[in-house]
Amino acid sequence: MQLEIKDLTKTYSNGVRALKGVSLTIPQGMFGLLGPNGAGKSSLMRTIATLQEADGGSARLTGLPEGDLDILTQKDAVRRLLGYLPQEFGVYPRVTAEAMLDHIATLKGIANSKERKEIVQGLLQKVNLYEVRKKNLGTYSGGMKQRFGIAQALIGSPRLIIVDEPTAGLDPAERNRFHNLLSEIGENTIVILSTHIVEDVTNLCSDMAIICLGEVVATGNPNDLVTQLNGKVWQKSVEKSEIDTYRQTHQIISTQLKGGKTRLHAYSEVPLDGFTPVTPDLEDVYFTKITEKMGVMSV
Amino acid sequence: MFSEIFRFELAYRLKRPATYLYALILFLFTFLFVIYGSGPASEKTNVNSPYAISQFVVVMTIFGMLVASAVMGVPVYRDIEHNTKNYFFSFPITERGYILGRYFGSFVVLLGIMAVGMLGIVIGSLLGPVFNLADNTERFGPIRFRDYAYPFLLFVLPNMFLVGSIFFALVAFSQQVFTTYAGSILLFIAYLLGTTLSQDLENKHLVNLLDPFGSFAYDNATKYWSPVEQNTLVPPLEGDLLTNRLIWLGVALLVFLLTVFRFSFARFLAVKLGKKAKGEASTEKAPSLASLPTPTPVFQVSTYIGQMVKQARIEFSNIIRDPYFIAILLGAVLFLFLDGWFGVQTYGTPSLPTTYTMLEARNGTFFFFVLIVIIFYTGEVVHRDKVVHYDTIADALPVPDWMNYGAKLLAMTYICLLLCTLIIVSGVLDQTVKGYFNYEFPLYFRDAYGIAFTQYFQLVMLAFFVHTMVNQKFVGHIATLATYIVIWAVPQFAEFSYKLALPFSGGGVQLSDMNGFGHYLSSLASFRVYWYAFGGILLVLALWFWNRGADTGFKSRWQLARQRMGKLSIALVALLVLAFVSMGAWIYTNVSVKNRYYSADEQREQQADYEKKYHKYANVLQPKITSVKLAVDVFPDEFKAVATGQFSIVNKGDQPIDSLHLTISPDNFHRKLTKFTIDGQAPKLILNDTDFGYYIYKLPKPMNPGDTARMEMDVTGQYTGFPNSGDQREVVSNGTFFNVGIFPGFGYNVDGELSSDKYRKKYGLPVKEWTVPAQNDPRGLRDFLFTDDADWVTFEGTISTTPDQTAIMPGELLKTWTANGPNGKPRKYFQYKLPSFSDYFFSMCSAKYAVKRDSWTGPDGKKVALEIYHHPGHDRNLDRFMASMKASLSYYTKNYAPYPYPVLRVLEFPRYAAFAQSFPTTVPYSEEFGWVGDFRDADKTDYAYYVTAHEVAHQWWGHQIMPSRTRGANQISETMAEYSALMVLKERYGVDAMPKFLKYSLDRYLGGRAFEDKFEANMLDNDTRSYVWYQKGSMLMYALQDYIGEARVNQAMNDYMKAARFRQEAPFTTSLEWYSFLKAATPDSLKPWLADNFEKLTLYDNRITKAEAKPIGKDQYRIKLNVRSATEYYDKSGKEISKGKGPVLVDIAVLTSDSKNKDGLTIKVPLYMKKHSLTPGEHVIEVTVKGKPVKAGIDPYNKLIDRVADDNLVNVDMP
Repeated sequence: MQLEIKDLTKTYSNGVRALKGVSLTIPQGMFGLLGPNGAGKSSLMRTIATLQEADGGSARLTGLPEGDLDILTQKDAVRRLLGYLPQEFGVYPRVTAEAMLDHIATLKGIANSKERKEIVQGLLQKVNLYEVRKKNLGTYSGGMKQRFGIAQALIGSPRLIIVDEPTAGLDPAERNRFHNLLSEIGENTIVILSTHIVEDVTNLCSDMAIICLGEVVATGNPNDLVTQLNGKVWQKSVEKSEIDTYRQTHQIISTQLKGGKTRLHAYSEVPLDGFTPVTPDLEDVYFTKITEKMGVMSV
Repeated sequence: MFSEIFRFELAYRLKRPATYLYALILFLFTFLFVIYGSGPASEKTNVNSPYAISQFVVVMTIFGMLVASAVMGVPVYRDIEHNTKNYFFSFPITERGYILGRYFGSFVVLLGIMAVGMLGIVIGSLLGPVFNLADNTERFGPIRFRDYAYPFLLFVLPNMFLVGSIFFALVAFSQQVFTTYAGSILLFIAYLLGTTLSQDLENKHLVNLLDPFGSFAYDNATKYWSPVEQNTLVPPLEGDLLTNRLIWLGVALLVFLLTVFRFSFARFLAVKLGKKAKGEASTEKAPSLASLPTPTPVFQVSTYIGQMVKQARIEFSNIIRDPYFIAILLGAVLFLFLDGWFGVQTYGTPSLPTTYTMLEARNGTFFFFVLIVIIFYTGEVVHRDKVVHYDTIADALPVPDWMNYGAKLLAMTYICLLLCTLIIVSGVLDQTVKGYFNYEFPLYFRDAYGIAFTQYFQLVMLAFFVHTMVNQKFVGHIATLATYIVIWAVPQFAEFSYKLALPFSGGGVQLSDMNGFGHYLSSLASFRVYWYAFGGILLVLALWFWNRGADTGFKSRWQLARQRMGKLSIALVALLVLAFVSMGAWIYTNVSVKNRYYSADEQREQQADYEKKYHKYANVLQPKITSVKLAVDVFPDEFKAVATGQFSIVNKGDQPIDSLHLTISPDNFHRKLTKFTIDGQAPKLILNDTDFGYYIYKLPKPMNPGDTARMEMDVTGQYTGFPNSGDQREVVSNGTFFNVGIFPGFGYNVDGELSSDKYRKKYGLPVKEWTVPAQNDPRGLRDFLFTDDADWVTFEGTISTTPDQTAIMPGELLKTWTANGPNGKPRKYFQYKLPSFSDYFFSMCSAKYAVKRDSWTGPDGKKVALEIYHHPGHDRNLDRFMASMKASLSYYTKNYAPYPYPVLRVLEFPRYAAFAQSFPTTVPYSEEFGWVGDFRDADKTDYAYYVTAHEVAHQWWGHQIMPSRTRGANQISETMAEYSALMVLKERYGVDAMPKFLKYSLDRYLGGRAFEDKFEANMLDNDTRSYVWYQKGSMLMYALQDYIGEARVNQAMNDYMKAARFRQEAPFTTSLEWYSFLKAATPDSLKPWLADNFEKLTLYDNRITKAEAKPIGKDQYRIKLNVRSATEYYDKSGKEISKGKGPVLVDIAVLTSDSKNKDGLTIKVPLYMKKHSLTPGEHVIEVTVKGKPVKAGIDPYNKLIDRVADDNLVNVDMP
């Protein structure tokens, strides 16, 4: 099974062009989608999650036992396979987590109440909400709500899981727990993890894409992408006032404050005077691709 | 500091579109009312009279409360809502500066908004004459600054200060904007409570003071103003109005100061500590994801339906746990309960809490709450997922669109069912508390769930559609509200009433114990099916455009809609369109083909055309009927009556008659003349105007003066289908009541003319001052007042009906039998005959009656059978009717003349009309009028007794003495019936029962003249004003018998009876003849009083300012009374023209504590009561009494027509 996206375009009614011909092939396993704020990640996610119409292009699930599915037209069939954690979501404030999950399980077609109960209890434990399952959702903190969102996305063993910024608002322990949970998801599932935290992708994903300004700027295996940068990233610590000078003479991909000085990362095929080589990581890949597209990023 | 914040607030407000929206709404409200001339007064009052302006302004402040809650509630809430309070208060500002700045900034804007509302009146008055939408340009008076400034200072400023301060304080202290909603509902409830309480005159002062808006105090201060006064005066700041304003201004000031001095930042910032869930790490080992069961999901329609029901339950419980909803619901139940509790009141006497009364309570204020619930909670439900952002999860779930959509619709269905259940619960509660246990549950269920529910759900469909299409909660609320207003309010202004084109209209039902749901159900069902088909189309459209997913742009909604327009839903729409169109055709057939529909304007135009075309025949000589023999067949199940009549007619004029003019008004009873012969020959039809129902037949040979002829007429009348509106009450399944008017009348019908001068001018007709000619007009004198078709006639007839009913006509029942009718089914026949003359006025009734019989023997030994035909079960008050019939017969026989018939009966007809009417021997009496009265409280007027006495009195006044068709003549009938009834009531309940009754008469007379559309006429001339012949008449006659003695009045009327009873020849009697007997009986000393009251328009202004008592020995007191007396003369337009100079005889009284008489009635106990002759002006009167004086006064029983009845008694001051 894989998800094939071809030339997907979307322009909002306010004129914003969110997707400008996105083409991606997403295989089974964990797929990371990286991109800065406003890159079009969420638009793409929403389109795949059947919540948004596209202006053009196609998105298909192929290799399913029941045959291929066109995401843009066969929404009902797609929804039956789908687990979706939106970037922003809310809940009915006057309903308990347990009741709400049970209800969502019902809506996902799990008709047997005993099985439903078992699934709901299990997921509540997995996301560490079991103790507070009888509390109204309105009383939940941001992190608890996020965990609730994760639980609901996993109901019904979905084969296409889309998680949009899942670790936002989670403390490090919960984030770990979530990563573990994701890694438990079965092999024959497509998991699309949209994030702007590079580390999440590094830790979890076997495949990834970087999108920026509505276009795919890189795609592939994270390690391969990093390997391509080997020997091409250089660093130097400079005074803050010097940054602009370096910008004019070098292809600076990122600047970062470290111990009162600013550490520059530059991209160059050849060694740079005064710079030391660094072993590139995925973050360098990300910034390289983004800066190629939209100029310098400061972190 | 203050000025900075003030300026910021002002600037902020002026940038908000809402500010302008509120102003625009108020502006349109007043502007439309004024330009359409829909003001709260009579035709003689200017649309923009100071009286009307103040009315507008008071009502505007009540609605302005909602604006105030929005404007004054948010200035401090804003800092909570946007979380600016956390840093805003760290700025160097003082609490007082902050509060005062925010307060006055908003308050100035609020006053500005209200001023724009008042500007609507000014602009409306300026444009009114230009656009002439008020049908009369003369009704716009001058624009005077005072007329606007005064109500602004008297109402706008204090009312806005009050509600503004309350809302401001509520938010400042509670930090919850919800409290302003609760607060405005509470204030509104206080006002509405006043409306409910004010139905009883006794509560007047209480209501005047309790109403925070001053509306009732203003009404009571101005309600007796004549049109001229309404056009010139502003309410004087005195009495209850002043007290009310001071009280509420004080309350407002208190709240304001409290807010200013008690507000503190610290408290405002305090974090509310609620229960927060804490997610502690679980010690339990979580199962692995793979170990969880992986059931195969089920996706079938049955699953979806199950999901829908479950989702609906969640939606429903979300609504009913909402505190706002609970608050609204509590308000709704309160009014349901109160409206049921007070129910229908007649003369201040309550009616039994019958199930239909309980059910009708839902049409009161409750409906307003229903609208609120439907508009706002449909919005809540439709937008809930989006508002709480749950949509991003829900919309991606594998369920069809209709699941979630249907669940939300289902949740609103539950809400409607809940509302309907409240109707039943509240009704049963009311009944139980009142000790009435005849719960008619089938009726409850049928009405609440069959009629109310289907009505409410129609509104849900509309609201659901609008909210879905608009797809934004707040805009949705406003759009839904606007839709409702466009659908219902605008047609009201435009007098548009064609229900086929008024969305979700139709379906009015009047319940009746006698006739159940009656004939309304077919109309109701047709309109419901029609509008449900329409609503169904809206619902499918809404489903197509139901927003699922993140993109709310029109393009993608359209894309989505296109995907959803599947075969099934298109087929459904086609089916619904088919149902809508065919039902529409069916309704059109009923309303406009089988029946006629005229808009209000067309109706008036029709009347005007009738007059223009046929008024020329108004004085054409026609013969008079002298004998009547009828055969009437009533077919209750077919809503049909067939009547055949044999009449003798005589030419009583001095000219030959060559043609007969017949009028059959073309109404929805579809009367048809199927046979018409004169002396066996069919006369030739020479004018056949079916539009106006005017027909002229040429007689085979002219009737010369004195000639008689035999006339035969066969008439059928039948209701077919259902009309646009109207009750089709004459022939119904159970409770048929029509009269001899089923036969065509002779000649032009003056009553069919347009009477309103406003519209007469519009249609180019001359102003109509009088409807009947002067007292010396020979043409008026030759006719009876109530019909010109006959003088005295002899009557016999047969009436038949279905075997389970009893049919009744006037006269003695000679015989009954059963035979097969024209349709082959068995029918019951009843033959009646009147033994002596009567006027030509016969009722025809048929219903399933129970009968109570008794008899009364006259002083001459003649026995009169007494019968009460009533609905089985309506037997509570039969003894009162019976006792009143006996007492009336005795009193009238003794004082006036013998009763000429062997039988007297009262019978009941359904409550579609609320009156009683006296036919010879027979008095049909509305179901609403006494049969279900609750007379257990002795202090409440026994109007069953009273009205019966009144109707029985007509057997003398109106059936034995028949007034001529001249001005003032109806006083002989109605005023004398009132007087007679008062005397019978006095005899039964004592003189002390009278003041309460007279107070109602006084109130209605003064109110009647205030709303006079033409001019006020005196007792001798009045031809159309019921407030003169009933209320003024009863006041004057009561005073007259009090002043000159009951025996003397009765002797005079006995003499008059002797002179005029059964007068066979024209000229018939006039008000002048009647008055001459009263005058003759009045001593010279009282003749000026008599002339003032009967010949002129006179009001008295008696008042007591002070009463001081000092004890002068054993249980003896000397009391000094400071009284004032005045007599004021008015012209017919209501303008005071002069003051009386002569002395007036008036009661001076000292009363001790009230006591109870043997009937349990509260009575006044006079220690001193004597008539004093007082000249106009101040008087000090000293009297000595035995016993403890409590109250003292002048004319304490309001025998004289006193403009201000309440200042006639004061408490006695004791040293």
